Amino acid sequence: MVQSYLQAHPDAARRVSDYQEQRTVLRMVFGGVADEPIPPRLDLDLLIQQRLAQRRTPWRAAAAVLLAFGIGGAGGWFVHAGLLPQVGNLTLLTQEAVANHVVYTADRRRPTELGAEQRDDLARWVSNRLNHPVAPPDLTADGYRYMGGRLAATPDGPAGLFMYDDAQGQRLTVFVLPMNAAAAMPIQHVDFAKVSGCAWIDKGIGYTVVGKLPPAELLRLAERVRQQFIGST
Amino acid sequence: MTVSGVLTRIEACIPALRRYATALLRNRDDADDLVHDCLVRALDKLHTRRDEADIRAWLFAIMHNLFISQLRRAKARPAGEPLDESHEAALSVRPDQESSLQFRDLLRGLNRLPVEQRTVILLISVEDLSYAEAASVLGIPIGTVMSRLARGRERLRNLTDEGEAKPALRRVK
Repeated sequence: MVQSYLQAHPDAARRVSDYQEQRTVLRMVFGGVADEPIPPRLDLDLLIQQRLAQRRTPWRAAAAVLLAFGIGGAGGWFVHAGLLPQVGNLTLLTQEAVANHVVYTADRRRPTELGAEQRDDLARWVSNRLNHPVAPPDLTADGYRYMGGRLAATPDGPAGLFMYDDAQGQRLTVFVLPMNAAAAMPIQHVDFAKVSGCAWIDKGIGYTVVGKLPPAELLRLAERVRQQFIGST
Repeated sequence: MTVSGVLTRIEACIPALRRYATALLRNRDDADDLVHDCLVRALDKLHTRRDEADIRAWLFAIMHNLFISQLRRAKARPAGEPLDESHEAALSVRPDQESSLQFRDLLRGLNRLPVEQRTVILLISVEDLSYAEAASVLGIPIGTVMSRLARGRERLRNLTDEGEAKPALRRVK
């Protein structure tokens, strides 16, 4: 019916085809922008980190953690009265762990400072700087190859970062940061836009496992890492 | 709802936000500034989200409001750089000679449209928003979206009709 109307009214037909052309040309002109890689300053993970970094005071940080890590998941432990004082610790720990994960796993050429062959050197170096014995956990049984690691800098002092990859080249990091001595917290799952992680605090030392993995898998790995750290200290 | 679900949806919208901002501002850096401000604002307002539906329209609305207040500020200032076709080179396409004329012609026409017609045309024709979505982005009734679209298309058609560009436009089909 539309067709026959347009045939009978050439002016209307011309208008319709002109409008279609407008649309086609506009999409051609502007479409390419959407296919380009997103520049780093629009990276949502980094924006969230910057946002968290601006809010260091414990209570605002706690609110930011709730925002960034998932209201549903976090609400459960947040309202748990006994855990309230640890929120600030968790913020700092996960923030630093995710920042270091994002920065160093993205580095294709030199992701680690000391490679797998210098495992013992790194363990000594990190242990000395952290003033706490720390050795890179072994995740071979879980399909993760140890790549190496480095000493990382945080506002709370030095931290250790250990990196692993699986057969697909997917990278995982384990992050160790000494915190105030009294702190303790069971394993928590935390979530960013593109990576997620598990964080916990044992005897004043904060630990995280961060990667692009389903929560259940991460929890399993976190438990494995936790057992190894408990066994080694 | 999970926040990570919402974040994933926001992330998926970033390419379209950049496309729309570039079409509005015709300058890649200004466009990315606008998208950046939009994302920061969205993260600030994240707690107001009850669900993951309409994230796209929500983001476009945030960006639209930022764009409009930016325009107001530019008007208040004396001589800002006009939003004209001088930034064409910055667009991503490298058109061949013939279609380049046609592009320039249409872009020039688009620039001469009132901003409320330009935004409707871009949201509907390029971003594929429904009339209802465009209405919620712009904060106007659906009927107004439709009339602005009709007037904008017709005006753009008349603007590109002027001069010698018409034959070039015809040849493209």
